[in-house]
Amino acid sequence: MKNRLKILRAERNWSQADLADRLEVSRQTVNAIETGKYDPSLPLAFRIGRLFEQPIETIFDDEAA
Amino acid sequence: MNAASEAPRRNASRLVLGGLGLLFGGGLGYLVGRLIKTGVIDASRLGWSDNLAVVIAACLIAMGLIIGLASFSRKAVGRMIDRTGAQLATPAQASFYREQAVVMFLAGILMAAPVVTTASFEAIPMVVASIIMLAILAIFLIQTVYNLTVWHRSDELIRRVTSETGAVCFWVLQGLLFLWAAAEKLGLAPPLTAWDIMTVLMGTYLVVASIMSARRGLS
Repeated sequence: MKNRLKILRAERNWSQADLADRLEVSRQTVNAIETGKYDPSLPLAFRIGRLFEQPIETIFDDEAA
Repeated sequence: MNAASEAPRRNASRLVLGGLGLLFGGGLGYLVGRLIKTGVIDASRLGWSDNLAVVIAACLIAMGLIIGLASFSRKAVGRMIDRTGAQLATPAQASFYREQAVVMFLAGILMAAPVVTTASFEAIPMVVASIIMLAILAIFLIQTVYNLTVWHRSDELIRRVTSETGAVCFWVLQGLLFLWAAAEKLGLAPPLTAWDIMTVLMGTYLVVASIMSARRGLS
């Protein structure tokens, strides 16, 4: 599944570690999501949506899989 | 940090890890060689699963020691988390890696203990066997506590990798075990011991865990 996490993070000038701290996950998890190696759980996807104040479907694109 | 400056760092890390591995492997090989030569260990008493268990145990102990020692450096842990080593690890991340190292190290000790005991005695006295078994039980309990702590402190990615590894191992090994059991029942394959099966399971688990971790970008 493709996502815009890296772009959204870069827009805020956050490192992967910054984002990981805000989401309460490891840096590896943020990296794995950004590189498309891991699709987050629904609760984590909601946390990401709330953090960036955007609906989940504008961040994650399931049709690009 | 760009890709060009990242590559030499990565190679240096691999060289250091390779060097430490060679040092440990060489030292262990020399020690085992000496013990066999002096007659302390009788390698002829060991079967294929004992030899495989010793290799797995050595790998686990080496990884446990290397990661455990590295966990005392936040810089080294930072590099394990992110190969570019751009950021120091937090103390919590360092202690998480230390706990994983303890799990690996103790797993190695658990696998090695029965084999080393078997190789050291022609007929293991009951007292010795009981003492070793009690020690194994105690280490197993400590390792279980650390295992549960690691699971509790893991985030969803590591839990997913652990679950996937367990699932793949179950499906692969239950199939193989069934086929072997059927062949054994029909007199086409030799019987396996519980130790044989456990060793194959541990070896398979380590290989599958490495593949699963790599797929998720954890290696």
